[in-house]
Amino acid sequence: MNDLFRGELVRFALEEPETYARAEVRWQRDSEFHRLADGDPARLHSEKAIKEWFAKRTEDTAPERYAFSVRTLAEDKLIGFLGMWVDLIHSEAWVGLGIGEREFWSKGYGTDMMKLCLQYAFTELCMERVSLGVHEYNPRALRSYEKCGFRLEGRTRQDVLREGKRYDSLWMGILREEWLQMQNGDRT
Amino acid sequence: MKDIFTGKLVRLSAFDPEEMSKMFPRWNRNSEYQRLLNSSARPMHSPKAELKWMEKEAGEMSPSGHFFGIRRLEDDKLIGEIGIDVVNWPGRDAFVGLGIGETEYWSKGYGTDAMNILLRFAFTELNLRRVTLTVFEYNPRAIRSYEKAGFRHEGHLRNFLNREGRRWNELYMGILREEWLGLDTDTAG
Repeated sequence: MNDLFRGELVRFALEEPETYARAEVRWQRDSEFHRLADGDPARLHSEKAIKEWFAKRTEDTAPERYAFSVRTLAEDKLIGFLGMWVDLIHSEAWVGLGIGEREFWSKGYGTDMMKLCLQYAFTELCMERVSLGVHEYNPRALRSYEKCGFRLEGRTRQDVLREGKRYDSLWMGILREEWLQMQNGDRT
Repeated sequence: MKDIFTGKLVRLSAFDPEEMSKMFPRWNRNSEYQRLLNSSARPMHSPKAELKWMEKEAGEMSPSGHFFGIRRLEDDKLIGEIGIDVVNWPGRDAFVGLGIGETEYWSKGYGTDAMNILLRFAFTELNLRRVTLTVFEYNPRAIRSYEKAGFRHEGHLRNFLNREGRRWNELYMGILREEWLGLDTDTAG
């Protein structure tokens, strides 16, 4: 059986609130990272506030929410996070991820995180589909999601305003059968 | 689209803690009713204690627990309660429990009708894969009703209960989505 929490480059982890807060406070200072990951205004939070938020989230055992910290296998370094929000009735999961440590961008870590996430969503949560949204100005993420098997399903036109220019939000999805086919393809 | 909360004899109504906390103490004065429903030795609880528990359990809008009152269509009288608890979302399995507290409505098809409505809710609204229940060996009326609703016998815990000087089994019954879809003739999705 595959290890649900271990990929080829990264593993899913649970941090102590102190450890996570120390990293997150640095990540938040990187406004480019924020704009790639999120459409909300960039904000800076204190280490204390992040610690309290994270500690509270760690205690959340609701069946709709799953959150992991992400560490590299080689250095055991905390580099990012991944979260899933589940629609229980329709067996659909929304996923979001971020790599706060810039030196780990464009090296396959995000793709490995997402592959691990899909394995968890389809084999552990028994989801029928996984969905995500990505900004048009983040082609690196788009390419990574395509590699994991996501298909571009639609777009909200010009709903993000950045630096005086409007961009689309892109919606991507992968169905259970598509993911299963990819797994079988890998084995043969 | 038909009203999924209405059956032939009863409808499922919103679980109102104010109303239910007054009914439960009255229903629970009947020890036979309690023994048919529960394996534990349950003391009587005051309306205040019931209300406190209900507001916590039924009041929070959890995606896993769904509680209803059972009301007669004829006069809208509240005669019982029914609830479903999704115990395993990845497996999409839930436990169901029901009681008709007003004893003059026993053995008249009200429980079976309420269960039919609940199964429709479970399979078409919650999109579950299976529904499970437990029932005591000394409750043949309930067993017969569940069989009519489509539940099958799946197993039993031997000598689970001690009542009146002898031991009784607890029976496990279940119904799968495909079985229910095959049974249900008047539900379109």
